[in-house]
Amino acid sequence: MTQLQDSLTGWIKAGALGLAVAAPFAVAAQAQTYPDPGETLDWTIAFGPGGGNDIMARTIVEILNTYDLYPGDITVENRAGGSGAVGWGYLFGQAGSGYGISTTSGSFVTTPLQADTPWEPADFTPVALLATDDLVLVVNGSSDIQDIGQFIEYAQSNPVTIAGTGTVNVDFIVPTLFAQAAGFEFEYVSFNSMADQTTALLSQSVDAMVGNPGEILGLIDSGDLRALVYSGASTPEALGDVPTMGEVGYEIGVSMPRGLILPPDAPAEAQAFWIETMQQVVETPEWAEYIRSNTLTPTVLYGEEFRTFLTNTQNGFAEVLRSVGAIQ
Amino acid sequence: MEIFSDLVMGLSYAVTPINLAYLLIGAMVGMIVGVIPGFGPSAGLAILLPLTFGMDPIGAIMMLAAIYYGSMYGGTITSILLNTPGESATVASTFDGYPLAKKGRAGPALVMQAVASFVGGTVGVILITILAPMFSQVSRSFGPPEYFLLAMMGMLTLLVMIGSNWKLGVISALIGFALGTVGVDLETGQSRYTFGSAELIGGIYFIPIAIGLFGLGELFYAFYSQIHKSASGSLVEYGREQRFWPTAQDFLSTRWTMVRGSILGFVVGVIPGAGATIASLMAYSTERSLSKTPENFGQGEMAGLVAPETANNAASSGAMIPLLTLGIPGSASTAVLLAAFLLWGLRPGPLFMEQNPELAWGMIASMYLGNIILLAINIFAIPLFVQIIKVPYRILGPCVVVICLLGTFTVHASFVETWLMFAAGVVGFFMRLYGFSPAALVLALVLGPLAEEALRQTLTISRGSFGIFLDRPASLWIIGVTIALVVLLPLMGRIGAGAGRAEKAGG
Repeated sequence: MTQLQDSLTGWIKAGALGLAVAAPFAVAAQAQTYPDPGETLDWTIAFGPGGGNDIMARTIVEILNTYDLYPGDITVENRAGGSGAVGWGYLFGQAGSGYGISTTSGSFVTTPLQADTPWEPADFTPVALLATDDLVLVVNGSSDIQDIGQFIEYAQSNPVTIAGTGTVNVDFIVPTLFAQAAGFEFEYVSFNSMADQTTALLSQSVDAMVGNPGEILGLIDSGDLRALVYSGASTPEALGDVPTMGEVGYEIGVSMPRGLILPPDAPAEAQAFWIETMQQVVETPEWAEYIRSNTLTPTVLYGEEFRTFLTNTQNGFAEVLRSVGAIQ
Repeated sequence: MEIFSDLVMGLSYAVTPINLAYLLIGAMVGMIVGVIPGFGPSAGLAILLPLTFGMDPIGAIMMLAAIYYGSMYGGTITSILLNTPGESATVASTFDGYPLAKKGRAGPALVMQAVASFVGGTVGVILITILAPMFSQVSRSFGPPEYFLLAMMGMLTLLVMIGSNWKLGVISALIGFALGTVGVDLETGQSRYTFGSAELIGGIYFIPIAIGLFGLGELFYAFYSQIHKSASGSLVEYGREQRFWPTAQDFLSTRWTMVRGSILGFVVGVIPGAGATIASLMAYSTERSLSKTPENFGQGEMAGLVAPETANNAASSGAMIPLLTLGIPGSASTAVLLAAFLLWGLRPGPLFMEQNPELAWGMIASMYLGNIILLAINIFAIPLFVQIIKVPYRILGPCVVVICLLGTFTVHASFVETWLMFAAGVVGFFMRLYGFSPAALVLALVLGPLAEEALRQTLTISRGSFGIFLDRPASLWIIGVTIALVVLLPLMGRIGAGAGRAEKAGG
């Protein structure tokens, strides 16, 4: 069994190494004690291959290697399970080390709210918030509603149904806060996946839905769906002139953090090294292309500001979810 | 005709030496991930996805698509030989596939499953080629009310699975429904019976349960009945003549089964979210209710193997329609394909086939070739696989435990699921011993959450009114078909009931 299992992990590693070409030893560009080129950087991806978290981690590793930003070897390993609890639990267990690292996504905030994880987001040593996942509100292309103004007006007199993925999720929080701000009522209809909710909207079962624009750009282009408003700080280029929630006067300030973390109590020089390194990463054209093709909002915060962001996000989520009884 | 010029254009992109090599790799990998229990196509796809960075998208998509439909071929092999479904869509293939092997017909069963898979896959691709635009309308008309009715139709399958001892069958199904309530409640977000475990947030996945109930349960039962001590010591009595090829009778008696299975499988596959598992189960129960000899189902009836096999392959073709025409993935596997499109900078959606004809038609054309390759691989590989059942059971038994364990653990690397698999194995043994229905349990576990979620979504949308089911044309259609089936089923059931009861009375 071990042998077969090893060969399976072997495939995963082969995939990882194909990208993470071992960086040359001891370039010694950095004069600090960290990083020691003899130490291997243990990069944990808390989800399986192919997901958003995986793509982000592999993109960063590729950039680090292309620009020789990290002097030692990097091993990338997918440690999926329990909505991220397994992978981030593994990183939590490396407390005090500067050679464990991981990327975060929405589950980093929501999983500890739902399960008894031994860790909280604020326990980890924050490096940087690099981007946020934000949502677009869309209606069926055959709907009479042409823009967000008409939508709010319609919703104020006729309660609407809005579809999203899951309840302990930004998909539920964003329309809830937006509706409170804009003064309308709606029924939230929760689905298991973006595919299910898109099907429901196309079959005219629901009035509108929220979702990450990436997967539905094709349907927006063809006119089958109509984008009304975007929840992020700035609208991605691909969505054209769709306004943000802030631009229509109802800023809600909630989004899913895509960032980088080290184990709890990592050495200060490790944190400083990674902050400085990520400042270089976000300036590369490869990173710009990643942001563009995944329709993310480039929101960058470093160090303690990122920790504050995580705490605020989690508190905001907990408050809304507690008020509807989703969590205790 | 335009379709044929598109197809020829697709072929011209697909048939290059390097692309054919990718297709072959995809078909082989698909077979392998299918054979390993639990390690389904979506996991295989996800692992190979990073390797397609920087590949030519046409070759890459040909390879990834072949992994998907290739796994439908491979998944049946362990269903037939070890009663352990390779992945969820081949659970229904254990119902008659394993009894066939026990009767000494493992060879013909394996050949027939390959032929059935080929027919299902090929009919599916032909339907994609001709009818893709029309069927995209089907995917567009399905919302929560229709999914609920579809799940109800699937529940009719339960009536078939429950078998002659209805009390034990109902108890089995209720256990399945109860297990289906575990996990986060989709509508309210509250955790149900997760005991704070992060691994149970997503609910009880049915693969560990199916592997435990069928694979381990059968194994325990085999030891209980002391097969390992018997004269030949092998799992099944293998006929002396070792007849490898199916008889003409096998083909003749299942020709309409293949046609029905292909069409049913394709239509169900087109509906996003329904997928190959439900298609195969529905094909099995439809075939049983139409059969003149329903009492033979479960005892090693060839039609009972051919029906789910054609259906799951046709469904995997059908699932390409929402992906290609709407950019909506109908299953976990097509979701990985969608991720691949996005990775390569493509924009799936209604304009996808117009904007990327060489990619879309290249993939469709490659599916014709891929199915031929897979049929050939299967026919060559079957003599090898048949050797498995000649291995003495005292050696094969422990290997099955390892395969079950490995298959369960590789899915989510979850210890909770691994323990669930062992528990399901013990439960499966006792179910087998006392005549309960593991199949009904698994089916209830699949359909229960689907029905619950769809009904609650429907009633949220309609604000509590059941009238919504009568307002929508698509849902009216499904109600009509269901009523037709309900009228047919009792008629069929009455014919077979007497014989079945007499036979099973001993338990």
